[in-house]
Amino acid sequence: MPPSSTTALLQGTLDVLILKVLALEPMHGLGISRRIAQVTHGTFQVKPGSLFPALHRMEEAGWLSSTWGESENSRRAKFYRLTKAGTHQLKDETEQWARISAAMASALETP
Amino acid sequence: MSIWRRLRTLWRNLTHKRMVDDDLADEIRSYQELLEDEKAGAGAGPSLARREALLELGGAEQIKENVRDVRLGSNLEAIVAELRQSFRGLRRNPGLTILCTGMLALGMGASTVVFSIFYAALVQPLPFRDPQRLVELWEMRQSRGINRAAFSEANFWDVRTRNHSFEQLAAAHYDEANLTGSGPAEKVTAISVTANFFHALGVSPVLGRDFAPSDDHGGYDNRVLILGNRFWRSHLGGDPNILGKTLRLNDRACTVVGVLPPGEPWINDQVYEPFGYRPDADRGSWEFSVVGRLAPGVSVEAAHADLQRIAGVLGQTYPKDDKGIGISFGPSSAWVAGDTTKRALWVLLGAVTFLLLIACLNMANLLLARGTSRQREIAVRTALGAGRARLVRFVMMESILLSGFGATLGLALAYFTVHAIQSLEIAGIPRLADAGLNPWVLTFAALIAMLTGVLSGLAPALQAPASGIAAALRDTDRQTGSRGQGRLRSLLVTGEVALSFLLLVGAGLLIRSFTELMNVNSGFQTGHRLMFSVSMPGSYYEKGVGKQFLDRLFERLSAVPEVVAVGAISHRPVEGGNPGMGIDSVPPRRGPGDSAAPWASWRIVSPGYFRAIGLPLLRGRLFDNNDKPVWAEKGQPEAPRRVVISERLAKLIFPNEDPTGKQVTLWKGQSGGDAEVIGVVGDSRERGLASDPSLTVYLPYGRIALTSEIVVHTRGNPLALVPTVRSIVGALDPNLPVADVRSFEDVVNRGVAPQRFNAIVLGVFSGFALLLAMTGLYGVLSYSMSRRTSEIGLRVALGASGRNILSMTISQGMRPALLGTALGALGAFWLSRYMMALLFGIKPFDLLTYSAVAIILLATALLACYLPGRRAMHIDPAVALRIE
Repeated sequence: MPPSSTTALLQGTLDVLILKVLALEPMHGLGISRRIAQVTHGTFQVKPGSLFPALHRMEEAGWLSSTWGESENSRRAKFYRLTKAGTHQLKDETEQWARISAAMASALETP
Repeated sequence: MSIWRRLRTLWRNLTHKRMVDDDLADEIRSYQELLEDEKAGAGAGPSLARREALLELGGAEQIKENVRDVRLGSNLEAIVAELRQSFRGLRRNPGLTILCTGMLALGMGASTVVFSIFYAALVQPLPFRDPQRLVELWEMRQSRGINRAAFSEANFWDVRTRNHSFEQLAAAHYDEANLTGSGPAEKVTAISVTANFFHALGVSPVLGRDFAPSDDHGGYDNRVLILGNRFWRSHLGGDPNILGKTLRLNDRACTVVGVLPPGEPWINDQVYEPFGYRPDADRGSWEFSVVGRLAPGVSVEAAHADLQRIAGVLGQTYPKDDKGIGISFGPSSAWVAGDTTKRALWVLLGAVTFLLLIACLNMANLLLARGTSRQREIAVRTALGAGRARLVRFVMMESILLSGFGATLGLALAYFTVHAIQSLEIAGIPRLADAGLNPWVLTFAALIAMLTGVLSGLAPALQAPASGIAAALRDTDRQTGSRGQGRLRSLLVTGEVALSFLLLVGAGLLIRSFTELMNVNSGFQTGHRLMFSVSMPGSYYEKGVGKQFLDRLFERLSAVPEVVAVGAISHRPVEGGNPGMGIDSVPPRRGPGDSAAPWASWRIVSPGYFRAIGLPLLRGRLFDNNDKPVWAEKGQPEAPRRVVISERLAKLIFPNEDPTGKQVTLWKGQSGGDAEVIGVVGDSRERGLASDPSLTVYLPYGRIALTSEIVVHTRGNPLALVPTVRSIVGALDPNLPVADVRSFEDVVNRGVAPQRFNAIVLGVFSGFALLLAMTGLYGVLSYSMSRRTSEIGLRVALGASGRNILSMTISQGMRPALLGTALGALGAFWLSRYMMALLFGIKPFDLLTYSAVAIILLATALLACYLPGRRAMHIDPAVALRIE
């Protein structure tokens, strides 16, 4: 899929996706990007240009923490994991998304 | 997220920038390697994998930049960078920077000086416990038009025992005493106070003890002293072992029992003696200052009601002295500054605010002009994606930086100015010595610096992003500055002119008042007069010692060749006390409607006084050596009582008749007693130039009525006579201090020192204001003319004469000036009423002042327009059009 047709990320979407993906296990940047593409069936292709600022912003906000580790193919990589605050944030944002999407769906389905 | 975490992150980002950046670079590199691995795993060759990985990654530098932007503290870094940039920009424009800094330094320096004086006089609390509950009490006799008089001793004791509203009531009596024993005799202020005086104020001695209640009942032999702090330092070198030592006051040894903490001037320079309770205290003589501390839970209204009740009782019990008595009180805040002083300080603060505002407007104006020539830079920034907020910040930064410079320089200016003003020791500005750059004043300075920065940057900042980017980028040279901007700048100039008008009117009114004041007929002759006081101890009132001394003094002084006349009076004009009495003709001449007898000042004078001070005799005769005091001396036969009265008093109690030889009742409604009027002298302004001429009764001096203020009329410079005076007095009595030696001119001038100070300060402010406003006008006009060079060239080429061009320029420039003048006149008309209390002899709407100010303002405006106009007139069309 060419980048132009990639659905533009809604404000805040990227954050919740990252949180969701990291909820399962700690991951490095590329892993996160690939997993997001996978779980959204390719709708969202996260470019490093948006991924890195988001990761660093969320780390500064205290939702993520990072450590250098070794990747599956023995490369040095920085791994991100969810903090307690991040878990909370994920819960809050999930609820909010559920409300919004329900509202949007009902609004759009109304003839 | 905890604030701690944020701070830690911020700290890391700012201090370990390198480490954070390196970490980020590592992370991106690792991402790239993982990508390459992934591509290679999918079957691409190493070089292809590398290419694809790079493609997907995008620019590593851009990623880093994006990450940096979201980091905590990125704003801070940007601000620092912009600050640096603004700083460089200002350095490239030294003229503008110096001009703006100078202007703001002037405005802020002046504001800081005025505020420091204002703070010391009106804001700084009294150094007493709980000063809000501290009050001063006074007696009234409203039926006689006396709204405020000191307490009589007996009334004080009665109010103290009968009231239910005051926790403490204390009295003080000001007196002078001769301090002898160490060096030449010296006159000091000795205040007798009730034992609870300091307790009522809430002051405890720093050394020794307070007076004990028993000190009030020790009778007159209780010779203990408490010293004011400054007195202790200046006279006794701050001797820590002073307690128990003795000082000789009026030839009596007194034991020091305590030293007060430093405090207000009136509780710092003096010595305090116990008051002493007397069961036979006098009820008729009003001499005592009374302070009180309201009891907890008692409201002001309740206390007033309580005092009114007591006044009623006193009036009935002692009808001779207390008929019609009223008792009232006022807050202790009035002890520092009276209403007029307060008003004057408010006016100064207002004036300096206007001045600062003008400086702000002027700077805004200059920055706006600069903004126009900087439009290209701003347009480039906008094109590169700088948001509006960021641009506003960028432009604002400059004015804030400038106001920072201005504030720094202004503080230095203020520091020296405050010291200079203090060294002038201007009388009448309370606590001037306390004024200084204390934390409050510094806070004020910081606040106005910030406000000034924002205020003067506001117009240019809002203007900046509004101008069309495309036009600005296309061609900056032909930018004439948008129409809106020209209007905005004219508006700013209009504001400046209007504010200057306000200041000029304020200054004009004060200067006019002051000249009126100086030209007022005081009744005295002020030139060539020396005044000094000899402070005579109690022993001088016995056996005629004082009279003998005075007569010998007059005789010896008269023998000095330069001396024209010598005389003496009990209370120095302008500065001395002002005792009064009820007085009326016998029988009263005035209509039945005026029930109360007039209240007149009384003074004891020597026969030579009138000639020495220059008061003309209008009718009858002056005193001679046969006239004796109106008080009879114990054991002496009663002499005929004779008085001289002033012209206004004569006209009041003897309308349409010659008072000489007629009888008057002295101290009417009090102790009473008749006397014969032997002469009428000219009126004089006994209480200073700003007060109306007094109604005065002059009483002859004598063995028991001494006059301590000596007046010498000389031919030459009065101060040249001082050594002669000192040696003559010293030869007569070496223990008698000569004090307060000044020329009469100086005495009178000191009385109007506050008025002079206000007029000068406001005059200086308005001068600055005029200068600033005119610089603004000149700047706007000459800038606009330089922008219109080609247009003017075209006009000239089409046949416009130089005169046409000049009148065009002037009419353009005079429009804001005229509008500003009109607005200023309206504002001044509305504001000048608040200056009423400070004016003398003129109305707040003084036509002369207003027209003079308008003429000055418009004439300078014309000059400011003429200069750019003349330049425009000489534009050569060939050159002007070639610029295109």
